[in-house]
Amino acid sequence: MYITPEVLFEARRHFLKLGAGALVSSSAISQLLADLPKDLSLKYTPDSNPLKLTLNTEEQATNYVNFYEFSTDKTAPVKLSQKMKTTPWNVGFFGELKTEQMLEVDDLIAKFGLEERIYRFRCVEGWSMVVPWIGFPLYKLLDYLEPNSKAKYVKFTTRHEPAMFPDQAKGLFASIKHPYIEGLRMDEARHPLTFIAVGMYGKRLLPQNGAPIRLVVPWKYGFKSIKSLDLIECVETEPLNTWQVQDPKEYGFYANVNPKVDHPRWTQAKERVLGKLSKQETLMFNGYEKEVGHLYAGMDLRKFF
Amino acid sequence: MKGLLIFIALIPLGVAYYQLDNAIDPIKMLYSYTGVGAITLLLLSLVPSTCKRVCGQNFLRYRKTIGLLSFVYILLHVSVFVVFDSEFDFLTIVEKSLKKPFIYIGLMAFAIVLFMALTSTKKHFARFSKYHKAVYIALLLALLHSFWAQKVAGVFEYGIVAVGVVLLGERVWAWRQNFK
Repeated sequence: MYITPEVLFEARRHFLKLGAGALVSSSAISQLLADLPKDLSLKYTPDSNPLKLTLNTEEQATNYVNFYEFSTDKTAPVKLSQKMKTTPWNVGFFGELKTEQMLEVDDLIAKFGLEERIYRFRCVEGWSMVVPWIGFPLYKLLDYLEPNSKAKYVKFTTRHEPAMFPDQAKGLFASIKHPYIEGLRMDEARHPLTFIAVGMYGKRLLPQNGAPIRLVVPWKYGFKSIKSLDLIECVETEPLNTWQVQDPKEYGFYANVNPKVDHPRWTQAKERVLGKLSKQETLMFNGYEKEVGHLYAGMDLRKFF
Repeated sequence: MKGLLIFIALIPLGVAYYQLDNAIDPIKMLYSYTGVGAITLLLLSLVPSTCKRVCGQNFLRYRKTIGLLSFVYILLHVSVFVVFDSEFDFLTIVEKSLKKPFIYIGLMAFAIVLFMALTSTKKHFARFSKYHKAVYIALLLALLHSFWAQKVAGVFEYGIVAVGVVLLGERVWAWRQNFK
């Protein structure tokens, strides 16, 4: 059976309205044309989901977010972010690399292609989900940028645009220090699991999920997966990430998911999978120990939390 | 009148029950509804005596009902901790309670309100009412607990502190007037 894709279905409805509109006036037509839904679907190589992870619904993943640039509430950013203008969107690549440059998100997609990655996502607050991201691994981008020998870390910065992000306009009363900053060690950044996402659930990222381009590091707590990227810099020293600045006793640079190392205020041994009233055990490195454990061999994970 | 009060105060529980099936993070939602309800009612239970001093209206007859309603919410809040969050794993509960200030501060507030609820009958109140001043300690602990429950405090957390400061401030002021 052939099922009309969602976007075509929507487009057809708009087209029918368009026809009706023509009978009324031509200005109505231009109005309706402006309202045509933008095609958000993406072409990508699907993930065969070898771990047989059960996906959370798109509704859950797009309606429960931490996006402090809009609000500290989990659902408020959904409404607050809908007017966010995410095209065109240039990302700046600077620091210790061959050629400093700016590239538009669509250029990045054209350069590196798109694939799907079904990852577990674990928030430091104790909830978790499984999301099918779409994007490309960060190492592809780094290979293209050619960091020099001084580049020991990668620093990520969220766009600072108070007109777009209300919390950034609050100055001293902002919920956190803006702009949001995150960082990875170069070997973490080059790890094949480390991912730059431009979409999820087959479509472009919605504003509340960090459109148009964000980081996804599946073995680290969610706050490492910085949203709405503005800058990616290769740097020599360890970047001071936002939550570490906010409270160094509670949040460190590494933020690896670790059921054995508690947050000072709560345990990390278990997690609440979104949509469920029961809890499940949290896995070491969020279930990616085999892939990433060697990156931290010999490190005291209680000290480097 | 008291019946109406109880009915209104329990509406949020009905809403929470209704939303449970579709809640994205159900345990968190139950924590929020019962926690916000508990602390709001605890603050409201301080209003009647303020009202009597400031505006000469006597609503003291509702104070016990409001206090007991707050206790119901706190009891449910603790139940969420025991039943859903810890899944009756009492070893972990004890360990968490001893290690995490966030948890034991909350449990201390619960113990105080539990004591007040148990001694709120006519028979016991005569003897124990003087200890009911401990509600101020419970309130301070509850405010601290609600601050620690968030990654960073938001409008609600600062709002309840502001209300708490006004209610406690008025008491300090009234108490000092007595000495003049």
